[in-house]
Amino acid sequence: MRSGAANRLMRNAGARLALIQMVIVVTAFLLAGYLTQVAIRRLEQGEIREHVQGEAASLRDEIRQKGIGHLPYTVAKRTRLWRGFEYRLVSRQGVLLAGRLPDPGVVGWTELDGVPSHHGEPDHRFLVLTETLFNGSRLSVGQDMAIAAGQTAAVNRILLLCGLLGTVFCLATSFLFTRQAWRRIAQVSSAAQQVTEGQLSQRVPVRRTRQPDDIDDLGVTFNAMLDRIGALIGQLRQVTTDIAHDMRTPLTRLRNKIERLQSDARPHPPLARAIGDLDDDVGEILRTFDALLQLAEIETHNGVMAFAPVDLGNIALDVAEAFRPDIEASGRHLQASGEAWLVAADSALLTQVCANLLENALRHTPSGTTIQVRVEREGQGARLLVADDGPGVNPEDRQEALKPFVRLDRSRTTKGSGLGLSIVAAIAARHGARLELGDARPGLRVALAFPVAVWAGPKAPEPGVPGAPLSL
Amino acid sequence: MNEVQLSDAIASCSKISVLLIEDEPETAEHMAVGLESRGFRVEAVQDGAAGLERALAGTFDVIIVDRMLPKLDGLTLVQCLRDAQVQTPVLFVTAMGTVADRVSGLERGGDDYLVKPFSFAELGARVGALARRAPAPLRERTVLQCGDLTLLRLERSARRGGVDLALLPLEYKLLEYLMLNADRVVTRTMLLENVWGFHFDPRTNIVETHISRLRGKIDLPGTLPLITTLRGIGYCIRTEPA
Repeated sequence: MRSGAANRLMRNAGARLALIQMVIVVTAFLLAGYLTQVAIRRLEQGEIREHVQGEAASLRDEIRQKGIGHLPYTVAKRTRLWRGFEYRLVSRQGVLLAGRLPDPGVVGWTELDGVPSHHGEPDHRFLVLTETLFNGSRLSVGQDMAIAAGQTAAVNRILLLCGLLGTVFCLATSFLFTRQAWRRIAQVSSAAQQVTEGQLSQRVPVRRTRQPDDIDDLGVTFNAMLDRIGALIGQLRQVTTDIAHDMRTPLTRLRNKIERLQSDARPHPPLARAIGDLDDDVGEILRTFDALLQLAEIETHNGVMAFAPVDLGNIALDVAEAFRPDIEASGRHLQASGEAWLVAADSALLTQVCANLLENALRHTPSGTTIQVRVEREGQGARLLVADDGPGVNPEDRQEALKPFVRLDRSRTTKGSGLGLSIVAAIAARHGARLELGDARPGLRVALAFPVAVWAGPKAPEPGVPGAPLSL
Repeated sequence: MNEVQLSDAIASCSKISVLLIEDEPETAEHMAVGLESRGFRVEAVQDGAAGLERALAGTFDVIIVDRMLPKLDGLTLVQCLRDAQVQTPVLFVTAMGTVADRVSGLERGGDDYLVKPFSFAELGARVGALARRAPAPLRERTVLQCGDLTLLRLERSARRGGVDLALLPLEYKLLEYLMLNADRVVTRTMLLENVWGFHFDPRTNIVETHISRLRGKIDLPGTLPLITTLRGIGYCIRTEPA
């Protein structure tokens, strides 16, 4: 769960940006701190060097003023009074004459470790200058480098504190600045989601401000796009209704005229047959037309379809039983079983799904085929399966089969508009159900899976006859 | 021909008066002629307002209303009628054939719904069924009778001449619908809608095969056939087989 939340946070562009910003700031501070430290150390060493040189010069001056014989006293005195330096004066013979520094061993500049400090703390590092005086004795003057180290540490602490403060500041400002932006982008995203689910009236809230920023522009553009889509769908619906009205009316007249002709032509059987064929053709046109209108209606429906819980198993069994005599009379076999699963759906549309799938199976399989209808559990939901052991559909043709007017036999000789499966697909999409064309090994297997279903069993073995007597 | 005479006879047992509210003159004329040839008495008006006025004033057995009408649309018209306590059966005739349209039409007080284009036979059968709709006592009767065929609705069983018939639930439902509409033409579409709940046309012979199975079960050797086929129109069960 936590890693999920972290994942979500990292997918958030704002959070990623803030993190990158923070890394850059911390790196910059670390680099600056390191460089400062190097510079400070170099400066401090130079300063200590100057101090030590100055002290050495002052001692040389003492020698010139009071003679070299007086030097041990001066050194002893300066050691005692402590001016921030430590000394070592050794005679030509190697006898320690004054001072506390250990033997540096060499002439010139050196760094000595393990020297006790003025306050008695052990193991300090001293920078020491050793000179050989004209009488052969050696004078060493050194200064504790810890004074500088303390300064460096202080500088480091300040740098670290600044770094931390900078990081916090960066995070806080980027959070404050982007939080609002995140929230508004999330609003756009959720509006888009709702529109996808069919709530076309959904709009992105847009701030009323005199200086719109880019997210305001995004919202305005997005809303304009939605308005346009809404208008197009409205037009499509209007055109659909107009076509329906304007074409059905003359078709009704055509049909009525044919019907009258037919009754006039009764004494002439060949003529009556020809007129009958005409009527069948008009009927075919009308069915295709109706299927198209229905497809348009389902696909453009505004998402306010009232779905009630309906028993998928019951519907499948009812439709299967309706088709049974037809299927069996055609030399095919039907096996139907339906568990009582309630799904949120429009029962008329579900009935049509079952009928279209069965019709399809009946039309595209050879005699002797067994057709199976099943309703069963799938995960948290339930699915309707219609399978046959006929020739099946090639995997590469399966998506194709769902498109309007596609008939997989290229000759288009079989009856039907080629809209049956498209209507099934549209109804599936309308219900948020998953439609899959698969392999029944052998044969075609069509599955319509509803993500959520409620068990409504136990169920009587006989497929349903509603309890109430029929009303007209 | 024999079949047509039969259907006309069934429809015209008594003069049924029909108010036809349809704005498209040619369609209205065709419908009026078609209905009159089947023995209905038709009065036609061209817009919703006049239609409502006539419907409120006159006494009609059935009112046919187009959904899209000038001045006052069909839905509102029927709503007004129902609000005025006029319970005359209403048949919506419309070019809008979607499920949602159908539901809204029936919710507003329509009794049946016919989508254009339709045949005269279908229109005649529907109007006939509405006009002489079985009165409530018949619809609630627990025993239905056609000749020597008895339907026991409480037991959901059928008997012919003392012999129990083994009917499947769907066959029972089909027979019940036919018997509730005895002596009237029931079209294929009416059966699809009312027995199977199919508001679309399955391009198979569902109705034909079921009727033929039902016949096989109820027509026992030596008995008269009860269900008549009216070719291209529908079916009819007779209370007194000829």
